[in-house]
Amino acid sequence: MKLRILLADDHEIVRRGLRALLEKHESWEVCGEASDGREAVEKALQLNPDVIIVDVGMPNLNGLDTTRQLLQHDPHFKVIVLTITDSDQVIREALDAGARGFVLKSDAARDLVSAVEALQNKRMFFTPRVNDLVLAGFLEKGQTVSRNEAPKLPTLTAREREITQLLAEGNSSKEVASLLNLSTKTVETHRSNIMRKLSFHSIRDLVVYAIKNNLIQIELPPSSPKTPAGPTAA
Amino acid sequence: MTIRILLVDDHPIVRQGLKTLLEGHSDWEVIGEASDGAEAVEKAKDLSPDVMVLDVTMPRMNGLDACRVLRRQYPTLEILFVTQHDSPQMMREALEAGARGYVVKSNAARDLLAAVEAVSQHRVFTALHSRTVG
Repeated sequence: MKLRILLADDHEIVRRGLRALLEKHESWEVCGEASDGREAVEKALQLNPDVIIVDVGMPNLNGLDTTRQLLQHDPHFKVIVLTITDSDQVIREALDAGARGFVLKSDAARDLVSAVEALQNKRMFFTPRVNDLVLAGFLEKGQTVSRNEAPKLPTLTAREREITQLLAEGNSSKEVASLLNLSTKTVETHRSNIMRKLSFHSIRDLVVYAIKNNLIQIELPPSSPKTPAGPTAA
Repeated sequence: MTIRILLVDDHPIVRQGLKTLLEGHSDWEVIGEASDGAEAVEKAKDLSPDVMVLDVTMPRMNGLDACRVLRRQYPTLEILFVTQHDSPQMMREALEAGARGYVVKSNAARDLLAAVEAVSQHRVFTALHSRTVG
């Protein structure tokens, strides 16, 4: 019986590339695709895939929160997160969310097949950087709190995180309400709670928070000045 | 006549996705790939593509700088940007750099074929998330 894989990435071009890569393996099949986290959760519940590959930077519901929701529904789901960044924070959140695999998008062509094979054999797969963090005791000991460290920001609930992402993506409260099947009043209440908890005064503060906390991932445009004629040396 | 296409993006998975889309067209051939702007300039010299599909944000040399160099060295080469940057300002910069096409990655599956068709015929094709011109 073929190993069934669900792909979740907001770019169809990326899903096509992942599908082409994975379907070279004769005993694997891509059983479905999703273009955002919410759709990923719905399809996972319908299709019951063996492995779910989730992009971290998806709109509506990002990959880390998708992973949490998937595993809340069914702890047996096996999730590989794909990310453009391997910062300490993303790594920690991916592992805390319950991901069993962690692959950098830039290395997906090299690592994703190994990651799926690992999960197929009931093992986990992480990039060397994640392993370094584990060895450094980062995950075993948890964060060390020093006297000089700034106090942690209050924790948002799962629902508050969802709403923060949607607001930071530019949705109005009414649009958020429609996406989440809530009343506008409920969304407004959550919004007020979020702003109060985080001591924010504007949507801009919320956007910065969402980026810093990987609720949304962005790719920065090139910042270098125009180069003179001729290729740039590496 | 076969249109010869070079794909340039720092993510092999994206290149693979672009390739699967383009290879369905019988008159087009993906003749090579590059993972940054500098490699794109080298490969343009070796392979003489008709159309180059180029990402903006890449290491070593970004797509805009590569485009300026390429258009200066190869005036008949047409460049189509396929990028994350859904920005009118970035699109303007790309066209000023000499590109003929600009498509956003989130809609690449929808827009890429029409864009390649247009630029290979030396027509402009631009498609931001909300607005298509071509």
